[in-house]
Amino acid sequence: MSMLSRRQSNCLLGELLTMYCFLRFSILLVGLIFSAGSYAVNAAQPLTTADDLGPKVEQPIEFPHDRHAGDAAKGGMQINCMYCHTYARRSIVAGIPPLQKCIGCHQNIESVRETPRIKKLFEYWEAKKAVPWKKVHDLPDFVRFNHERHIQRFVFAQNKPVQEACGYCHGDVKTMTVARRQKPLSMGWCVSCHQKDHPVDATSTKTTHGPNDCWQCHK
Amino acid sequence: MIENSFNRRGFLKVLGWGGATVALSGCGNTSVEDGKEFVTSYVQTADYIIPSIGTYFNSTCAQCDAGCGIMGRVREGRVLKLEGNPKSSINNGKMCGLGQAGVQAHYNPDRIREPLLRNGDKGEAITWEKALGLINEKVGGVKAENIAFLTGGISGHVKALLKNYLDALGSGHHYVYEAVAPSIMRAANKKAYGTEMPRLRLDKAKVIVSFGADFLGAWISPVHFSQQYARFRKADNGERGVLVQVESKMTLTGANADRWLAIRPGTEGILALGLINALAAAGLSVPEDVAAVVREYTTDRVSKDTGVSTEHIGRLVALLKERSPSLVIAGSAAEGYAHGSQNATAIALLNQVLGNVGKTVEAPSSIPFPQMAPATGNRFALQSLNDNMAQDKVKVLFSYGVNPVFTAPASMKLKENLKKVPFKVVFAHYMDETALEADLVLPLNSALEDWATVMPEYVAEGAQLNIQQPLMEKLYPGTLGVGDILLALLKQRRPDEYKGYEDFYSYLRSAMVSNKGALGGSATDDDTFWDATLSHGVVKLAGTPVNMSGNPSAKGLVVPGPFTEDSAYPFHLIPAVSASLRDGRNANEPWLQESPDPLTTIVWDSWVEMHPKTAAKLGVVEGDIVEVASKSGAIKAQVYVFTGIHPDVISVPLGNGHEALGRYAKGVGVNAFKILDSVFDKETGELAMHETRVKVSKAGQRVVIVKDEGPAGGNQMGRKIAVRMSSNKVNLSEEV
Repeated sequence: MSMLSRRQSNCLLGELLTMYCFLRFSILLVGLIFSAGSYAVNAAQPLTTADDLGPKVEQPIEFPHDRHAGDAAKGGMQINCMYCHTYARRSIVAGIPPLQKCIGCHQNIESVRETPRIKKLFEYWEAKKAVPWKKVHDLPDFVRFNHERHIQRFVFAQNKPVQEACGYCHGDVKTMTVARRQKPLSMGWCVSCHQKDHPVDATSTKTTHGPNDCWQCHK
Repeated sequence: MIENSFNRRGFLKVLGWGGATVALSGCGNTSVEDGKEFVTSYVQTADYIIPSIGTYFNSTCAQCDAGCGIMGRVREGRVLKLEGNPKSSINNGKMCGLGQAGVQAHYNPDRIREPLLRNGDKGEAITWEKALGLINEKVGGVKAENIAFLTGGISGHVKALLKNYLDALGSGHHYVYEAVAPSIMRAANKKAYGTEMPRLRLDKAKVIVSFGADFLGAWISPVHFSQQYARFRKADNGERGVLVQVESKMTLTGANADRWLAIRPGTEGILALGLINALAAAGLSVPEDVAAVVREYTTDRVSKDTGVSTEHIGRLVALLKERSPSLVIAGSAAEGYAHGSQNATAIALLNQVLGNVGKTVEAPSSIPFPQMAPATGNRFALQSLNDNMAQDKVKVLFSYGVNPVFTAPASMKLKENLKKVPFKVVFAHYMDETALEADLVLPLNSALEDWATVMPEYVAEGAQLNIQQPLMEKLYPGTLGVGDILLALLKQRRPDEYKGYEDFYSYLRSAMVSNKGALGGSATDDDTFWDATLSHGVVKLAGTPVNMSGNPSAKGLVVPGPFTEDSAYPFHLIPAVSASLRDGRNANEPWLQESPDPLTTIVWDSWVEMHPKTAAKLGVVEGDIVEVASKSGAIKAQVYVFTGIHPDVISVPLGNGHEALGRYAKGVGVNAFKILDSVFDKETGELAMHETRVKVSKAGQRVVIVKDEGPAGGNQMGRKIAVRMSSNKVNLSEEV
C-alpha cells in the first residue's frame, strides 16, 4: 500500500467512485487496482523523474531564482542555494532567509535598485515588515522531513553538487523564477529513493539505502 | 445506481478499502497547504534563531503571585512551551500545572484586543490616544482624593511607576486587594516573629504539623515548598520527615500527610494550646506566662472540643517531643475564622515553644529597594474602597489585576456601589465581571508579551528581582503593557520627567542600568549588564536578614471555645482553594478546567464535597444536585461524597461560576465567593472565609459527575487492592 504515489492513489479514488456503480465487484476490483499500483511502483523509478507539477503559487515578490542561482551562461549569478537557504543544513526545515539577507546584498547593487521588485523589497524593509512568502513545498503534518540529514549526507558527506542534491526533491530551481513544486512529495515517491542503493560516501564502494522505518518520518 | 441488495456489511468492506486509499492520499490533502499557508520569515534575526529549533528566553510566571522564574521555548517567533528557570531560587527550574497553562492565557481567544469605551450596554472600540486623553480629562476634572487605584499584589518598577502617578495626581489612594491571601497569618506572624512572611524551612524540619496549610497545592509558593518537601521526605541523612496535617477538609497536602487529622472547624487554636500544655507536662520547658494560659487546655478538654482523639493528641505530642526541630504552620483553614488571628497566634506560639524560630522559621531578607517591595493585598482594602464608593467619595476608579465583582461576597454589594462611581477604568486581559462594569476597558498585553520586574513576597534565598520580558511579539497590535499605560499617564502629568522614555522598556532599561551597581553589575558596561540580566531572568540582590523576635508570649491570647450549633444552618462551608483555579482569574484556560481536581478527579465543574455520614443524613448520593444556602445567598451544585472531610463541614471549590471572563469559564460551575457571610476576623478586619454557615437541601435532579476516577469511586472497583490499615493502628513515632 505504501508504494502508491499521490497521483496513483488519486486515480484509485476516482476508480472507487466509478466502482460505486458496480458494487458487487467492488472488493475484487479494489484489490486488483491496489496490486497493480504496487507493481507499478516496484519497477525502479529514476531519482529525478516522477514529475508532478504543483499549483502555481502567487508570491508577494516574483523572486527570480534563475537570475540568482542560474548558470552564468544564461545570465545567472550561480549563487549557492545554501547562501540564502542557510537553515537547510542546520534544521529540519529550510526556512526562508530573513529580509536582512536580501538587503545585505541589494543595498550595494545600484544597477537594479529602481526595478519594481527591488523597490517593493525595500518597501518591506523600510516598514520593517516580513515578506509574506507563501509555502511552495508542504507536507502533511504527520510527516517529518529533515532537510539537515539530507544536506549533510549528500552535500557534505558525499560531495554532491548542491543544486543536484536539492534538486532531487525541488527540481531544477535555477531555471525557474518563482519556485513551483516539481515532485509529488508523496510517501511512495520518498520510498522509491530510499530503496535505492547509494554509496556510503564519496570514496567508498560500499552501498546502503535510506532508512525505511515508519518512525523515521512518522513521529 | 446503488443496488438494493448491497447490504451494510458489504458497504463497510468497500469503505475499508476506500478509507485506506483516502489515508494514502493524505486525507484528501487537507493538511497540505502549499500555495495557501505563509512561511514564517523574519525581517532581521540573530544568528542563533534557526527555524524549527527552539530558543529559550527567561521570564517570570504571572499565573499566581509566587513569582517563579520561567523559560519559554520560542520557535518561529511563537512561544510554545514554558519550563522552569533553573536560575531562580524560588522554583529551581521546576514548574506547576498552573504555570504551564500560561500559554493558554497568552493565546486565549477571548482576550480583549482594543480599548473599549462604554456606549450604553456596549463597548465601542476607540484608539489609545482617545482612551488616554479621556483619562487625562477625567482625572483632571475631579479632586485628587476622589481618585482610587485598586490593584492586586504588585511589585517592581510597575509599582514604582504607579506610586509616582498617584503622587503626580496628588492622591494616595492605592488599594491592594487579594481575594485569597494569607493576610491574617501575615498579621499574626508580624506580631509573633516581627516579620510578616518568615522563611519556612520545610527541608530542615523533622516533623511538620500543618494546620490546614496546603503548601503543596495552592499556598504562597507551592513549587518552592514542594521541592523543600521532597528534601524533607528524603533528607541527606536518610531520615524521613513526618507530616501531620490537621484540617477540616482534606487538601492536596493533607492527602500526602502521614497522618491526616480531621478537626472540628475553627478549633485549630485550641489544639495548638493543648499541644503546648501536653508538651509542658511531658517535660518541655515553657515560659511561665504561657504555661499559665495553656494550663486549662487539658488533653481531655481539647479532645472534646476539637474532635481529635486523646490517643492522637498523645502521639502528636510524643512525635513533637522526640523529633526536633519541627515546624508548625498555620494555613488558611486555621485563619479563616472570626478568631483567625487568635488561632494563628496560638499556632505561632507552639512554634516558638518548640524552639523552631531560627531553625525552621528563618528571618527573611530585607529588600534593598523598598519602593519596589511587594505590596501585599488584603480584603480590608477592598472593604474600605467599597465604603468610600458607597459614600460617593470615589469619582474615578482604576482597577488592575483584580476581579472584585467576581470575588467579593454578594453581601458586600460591591457591584451596586461600583455603579456610583462616575468613571471606572479597568485594565484587563478578558472581559471579566469587573470589566463589564467599566466605562473604559484598557486591554493589556499578556504576561508573555509584557515587560515588568517582579519582586515576589516569598523568596527562598536573599532578595530577588525577577525580570518579565516578552517571549514573543504582541499577538494583537491594540494591546498595551501596564507599564506602558502608566508611563503614558505619567507623561500627561509630569512631561518633563518622563518625556525621555519612549516606552516602558526604555524606562525599565534605564532604571535598571542606572542602578547596576546595586544590582550586581558594577564591573560591567551597560549593554553587557542588561543582556546578562535579561538572559538570566533574575537578579539576586544583596539583602541582610531582618531581625526576628523569638520570645514566646501568650500575652492577651484568648482562643474562644468551639462553635455553638446553629440548627438553621447546621454546616460549616469551606470554600476550597484549588491548585489550578485559585481565585478564579485562570478559569478561562481550558487546560486547567480539564485537569482533574487532585482529590475528587472532577473536571469542568463545581461540586459540594461532603462526608458519607453527612450525605446519609441528608439522604443524598453522589451526583444529586443540592442547594447550599447561607444567610447571604444560595448556590446549586452536584454532591461529591468523600471521606476526607469533617462530617460538620461541606466544601465547595472556588474559581468557577463566572458570568463573564470567556467562553471556557462562563457558565461553568458555581461561585462560592458569592454566598460567603460578612464575618470578619476581629483583629485584622479580614473576611473570615471559613465562617459561613450553610444549610443543604436536595434540589431534585441527579446528574452523572464527570470525573476521572472509575464508577466505583475511590474504592478500587470494590476490591481492596492496596493494603489498608486504620490510622489508629499506625504509630508514626515508632515507625520513624
